[in-house]
Amino acid sequence: MTFDPNAFLIILTGTLIAISCGLLGSFLILRNMAMIGDAISHAVLPGIVLAFFFSGQREGIAIIIGAGLLGILATIIIDYLSTKVKLQNDASIGVTFTWLFAIGIILITVFAGQIDLDQDCVLYGEIAYIPLDLIVTENNTILGPRVLWIAVINVILVLLYVGFMYKELKLTSFDKQFAQTIGFSTGFINLSLMGMVSYTTVSSFEAVGAILVLALLVVPPATAYILTKKLKPMLLLTILIGFLTSLVGYYLAYFIDGSIAGAMASVSGLFLLAAILYVTIQKRSIGKGIIMPAELKR
Amino acid sequence: MITQVENPVLEVHDLTVSYGRNPVLWNIDFTLPKGSLAGIIGPNGAGKSSLIKAIMGLLEINNGFIKIFDQGLNEVRKKISYVPQRESVDWDFPASALDIVQMGTYHKLGLFKRPGKAEKALALDCLKKVGMEKYRDRQISELSGGQQQRVFIARALAQQAEIYFMDEPFAGVDISTENMIVDLLKAMTAEGKTVIVVHHDIHSAPKYFDWIIMLNMYLVASGPTEKVLTEELLEKTFGGKLSLLSDAAQLIKQKGFNPLKS
Repeated sequence: MTFDPNAFLIILTGTLIAISCGLLGSFLILRNMAMIGDAISHAVLPGIVLAFFFSGQREGIAIIIGAGLLGILATIIIDYLSTKVKLQNDASIGVTFTWLFAIGIILITVFAGQIDLDQDCVLYGEIAYIPLDLIVTENNTILGPRVLWIAVINVILVLLYVGFMYKELKLTSFDKQFAQTIGFSTGFINLSLMGMVSYTTVSSFEAVGAILVLALLVVPPATAYILTKKLKPMLLLTILIGFLTSLVGYYLAYFIDGSIAGAMASVSGLFLLAAILYVTIQKRSIGKGIIMPAELKR
Repeated sequence: MITQVENPVLEVHDLTVSYGRNPVLWNIDFTLPKGSLAGIIGPNGAGKSSLIKAIMGLLEINNGFIKIFDQGLNEVRKKISYVPQRESVDWDFPASALDIVQMGTYHKLGLFKRPGKAEKALALDCLKKVGMEKYRDRQISELSGGQQQRVFIARALAQQAEIYFMDEPFAGVDISTENMIVDLLKAMTAEGKTVIVVHHDIHSAPKYFDWIIMLNMYLVASGPTEKVLTEELLEKTFGGKLSLLSDAAQLIKQKGFNPLKS
């Protein structure tokens, strides 16, 4: 197979987004908060609409800030409903994101006459267009695909965040009460994680679409969780699975001539299935190989 | 029967705590001397865990105050260690025994810093003290309940604190682990550390503790074991459940029985 620069760009962007989503998603599943990614990805809609309304731009820093603020607001509402009102955690999530998403839909329809924004461009990205949307400077130098740059910035920030906050994220995910007693600000650490998840989902939406973002937040970390026993190997394996998902997903879409994002999401699911099969078979073979120690025999 | 002491390491003053509108602790007021191995005993729902959670700042206080080494909690956090109930965390977390014990060194590292060689050596030493050095790389879900509890104790040791609060450390552990933990706690208090333990078994309480805090939403008694562990106060603490107490009462009545030495 010859080198195809378009394929390379799409696989690279997919991999970067898979790494950003996977690293943050690992901590979400360890906190039993996997569905919060789903919630945040919907809850940011009013923020996107308002940011668009005030800035007039469909992409850029305003949208990210608007979405980030709504993501954090959603987290605060969910936290308030579950800890203060004592609603179940999943119910709190379900109430919050549908409500905020609905407000976003109302805002879109109210402003529909004045702004050029539709659900499609917010919710469904198209990774296949990545090589077409280029950044060109004034003197006509091509800096490469715009979405790739967004993904690069995102992955750098996520790597810095997880690198610097590793110890804090690990401890608050395992034992929140203990973390509190040694003076860690668990509330701030949680909000910072949710802020990063909001930023990452919005930053990635445009490139790969909502379903793939949600899949990449949960499925590769879940696969790595099944296969590993320690946190660092789990994060590294998540990165590897993210790359393989992007690579295999692209070629699957190429050969069946289908949606790339859909193929990548499906492949991540198949990897999870393979991991479950592997672990199940391994457990059985261990059970068969055990010989009772002589001292236990009567 | 509440014995107050001079220069206490822990002073709980007029403490009231409630969950929503339901009070769980009423006007708790006691002091604790340095180097004591104290047991908090009382029936289910007496507020034993809530008391140490309130002291650790995990529960909102409605009224009263707490002083540790005559200071507020935030000034002395580095001198305090808390061992939560074993069931309060998810043991399927991807971490080894050594990882968990190293968490006991985090409070001295500061923001963004990772544990290094010194912290690892300290954590290994603490694992050794609880007899778990063989299991340092074992994933925590592959440990037994008693071994998990030992890991929690080792994490507390790694904090190198002056005062330790432990929530039910003997719940669901076998007798050898229980004895090992008790020996360790006695050695710690002999070095001048103070240990406060939530305990559910009144039969073993006189053997383990030199100070007893009896709780049933209000403070029934607080004082040296031989003074407060009386039939009358036990009845007051546990209410009508007398059949459960008769054994302990018998034990206390036995001539020549010294709870501190057996």
